[in-house]
Amino acid sequence: MATTLAQNPAAPNSVNDPTNVIVETRNLGKIYRDFWGRKKVNALKSLDLEVRKGEIFGLLGPNGSGKSTTIKLMLGLLFPTAGRVFVFGKEATDVSKNERIGYLPEESYLYKFLNAEETLDFYGRLFDMSAEVRRERTEKLIQMVGLQRARRRQLREYSKGMTRRIGLAQALINEPEFLVLDEPTTGLDPIGTREMKDLILRLREEGKTILLCSHQLADVQDVCDRVAILHQGELKELGRVDSLLKVQDVTEIHASGLSEEAKKEIQAIIERSGGALKRMDNPTTTMEELFLDIVRESEQRPGRRGSNS
Amino acid sequence: MRLSPEQFWTYSEWLFQKNGLRDGFFLALVLAILGFVIGYIVAVIKHGPSEGFLHVARIIGQLFAVDIPKMSFRRIFAMAKLAIKESIRKKVLVVVGIFIVGMMFAGWYLDENADYPARLYISFVLTMTNYMVIVLGLFVSCFSIPADIKSRTIYTIVTKPVRPLELFLGRVLGFTAIGTLVLVAMGLLSYVFVVRGLKHTHETVTTSAEGTIGETSYVSRHKHTYTLNESGRGTTNEVKGHRHIVEKVGDKIIVKEPIDDLTARVPVYAKSLAFTGRDGENNTGYNVGYMSEYQKYIEGDTLSSAVWRFEGVSPSLFKDVISYDMTISAFRTYKGDIVTPVGGIIYFRSIDGNAETEREAFKVKEFQVDRRTIKTKVKGFKDGQPAELDFFKDIAPNGSFEVVIRCQDRGQYLGMAAADVYLRPNDLQFWWNFVKGYISIWLQMFIVICFGVMFSTFLSGPVAIIATISAIVLGFFGFFIDQIQSTNTKGGGPLESLIRIPLQTGSQIELDLGNEALQTAITKIDEQLLRAVVQLKNAVPNFDQLGTADFVAYGFNLFGGLLGRHLTIAFGYFILTSLVSYFFLKTREMAA
Repeated sequence: MATTLAQNPAAPNSVNDPTNVIVETRNLGKIYRDFWGRKKVNALKSLDLEVRKGEIFGLLGPNGSGKSTTIKLMLGLLFPTAGRVFVFGKEATDVSKNERIGYLPEESYLYKFLNAEETLDFYGRLFDMSAEVRRERTEKLIQMVGLQRARRRQLREYSKGMTRRIGLAQALINEPEFLVLDEPTTGLDPIGTREMKDLILRLREEGKTILLCSHQLADVQDVCDRVAILHQGELKELGRVDSLLKVQDVTEIHASGLSEEAKKEIQAIIERSGGALKRMDNPTTTMEELFLDIVRESEQRPGRRGSNS
Repeated sequence: MRLSPEQFWTYSEWLFQKNGLRDGFFLALVLAILGFVIGYIVAVIKHGPSEGFLHVARIIGQLFAVDIPKMSFRRIFAMAKLAIKESIRKKVLVVVGIFIVGMMFAGWYLDENADYPARLYISFVLTMTNYMVIVLGLFVSCFSIPADIKSRTIYTIVTKPVRPLELFLGRVLGFTAIGTLVLVAMGLLSYVFVVRGLKHTHETVTTSAEGTIGETSYVSRHKHTYTLNESGRGTTNEVKGHRHIVEKVGDKIIVKEPIDDLTARVPVYAKSLAFTGRDGENNTGYNVGYMSEYQKYIEGDTLSSAVWRFEGVSPSLFKDVISYDMTISAFRTYKGDIVTPVGGIIYFRSIDGNAETEREAFKVKEFQVDRRTIKTKVKGFKDGQPAELDFFKDIAPNGSFEVVIRCQDRGQYLGMAAADVYLRPNDLQFWWNFVKGYISIWLQMFIVICFGVMFSTFLSGPVAIIATISAIVLGFFGFFIDQIQSTNTKGGGPLESLIRIPLQTGSQIELDLGNEALQTAITKIDEQLLRAVVQLKNAVPNFDQLGTADFVAYGFNLFGGLLGRHLTIAFGYFILTSLVSYFFLKTREMAA
């Protein structure tokens, strides 16, 4: 017996230590107004949350729930109309905080007339890096995101997935301590999605703090330590993913090689101890899992795939 | 070409004596206070009175505490490089191609009958370059930041440690670099165009029996006459602003390439021009009734005279001969013999009046530069006695002397301004003057780029273009605004004129609204409106004054002092636009 959805519990241990808080929002609010100062949208209402050092924090919510607004407020791209945001203990509008931040925007807003190398070199210069450091990091990041073969092509020729990768590479150019990823997996195929998730987990292992926002629940579930769920600008839920998703009073049984008699026996045991058997069946894999299996297998054994696998 | 006295102030004279520095500081102070007040009002609306003040104070404090000290040239250069790449991608260099096409066709339309083809050619290329480069600067600078905001590429920039000033400086530097590249290409092409366009030579057609006097063939719609000296050398007369050297080689007489058409005269101007009236009394010269009072007149056959005082002329500038140019005009009160020009006399005298040269008669060459010389060993009078004079010993012992001109024909007048008589030491190279003309254009382009980028930090591209054009236009018509404000213009100020339109009251008639108080109020409001417009005008660059094409076209050396002034003014605008951009970028929500 095992509980699924077990997460890497690399949880922040000293919650009250202020040095462990990377982002803090206090009663944060944002109202969009039109030219005449009339209220258009109340995009965010008194948000209080903390992102702690070393965790992967997910911002969840449907479109228009205030996820992007929150991120933009944290990055100083927007100014709050109420409350405050602190990043590394500094006001979000303080430019110097950017030294330690990497940001992957929703769509990779990069200069399309530059190629991968030029892009990374340009952003490296913005961090005032020496030519040597820039060369070294560019090389490393191009390898890491797997754009070796497209390094000299202009970004305009890139597919959506490639654009996402170069976007991620530019976000990592300064080896940031805190990484903000806005919809990191949109536009990626399942392999790309999986790679992105693995990368996110690897970055956490390197000690980076990651804030990601997404409406792809599966992604969030797979990588996040803690999540905040926003809806219509309000914080609905905040907590550890494992505790949020664990259905406390349900036991799931996965076993193999059981005979029909054995199954009946188990059912009898459950009924005896006052429970009710909800489902005991051959578990189905997820579509994503299946697709990945197929691809993995086809890479090992090229050619037409045989039946049953 | 008419030089106004302020155009030949030296740099330090302008800066310190003529209050260039003081006026600049005053304007800066006015703008700073105005900026602070506007900023504060906006902040109060957004954050309330006390929080608003803190907000403004914090932004100003951060400018000096963090944003200037932590500026990185690497970041600025990175963004400049990006701006260059972006411009090249936008095919900005095509402008050079258009320029070449323009020049190819220009050859057909430039008037071959012009009296001074060199002037025409030079002013054509300089004007064309000037306009093209300004338009280019306008377009590249106004659209860049708005395009970045629209495509949201700005998100990836401002989330890096990029400071607002760097954002501005990067653009300005990049666009200036690309503009410079275009300008250099245009400059080289223009130089070749001018030199090749004016290049011609003549055959000799007729010669006198002795072979010393002759006439050249008719080429490029003109011909010359020439005189050779005993050694078989000489020059032609001046036609269409140039001469040729003529040389006898063996039996053949060869006419060489044109000279004097592409010059860079280095005029040494008088410090002052004074006039005496009919009876020798001091006056300010007679006004013969022209609207323009650029030149003042002296009356013929009286004691009326014009006296230029030169100071500090160095003897090292001249060897045996002092060259000087004269551009005197004549005003006739009777027609008389129209073929014969009005005559005058000219002489040089020492400041104390004890020594003077012999009087030399001349005929006025109207609308031309009269090139004249006087030898340094010259006949004259010392203490009332005829004597052989040494110019720099007797007339100008410490470099100061006077030039006196009188008109000889009774009832006729001669007109002159301070810049109409000047000494002419050795000319400078034409190409260098041409380069200086281009530096002038470069400065204008730079100012346009600064303004364009500044407006684009808070306006969308098309609106930024209109704002920049408005600034340029306001600059071009600055003199007009001054005129309206300083003189009592007929038809009143803006408000009164506006009222006159529906009432169909001509500007010659006094406006009568039947209400004294109302009319006074209108006049008062108009005064204030005009004052405000004048202030605004002083804050925008005067492109009319910054243009120096005439200096190059008319063959005058573009003085370093004038160029220095323009450089200083451009730098002032650079600082102004940097600060305005800083405040807008600092307070702007990039994702809004």
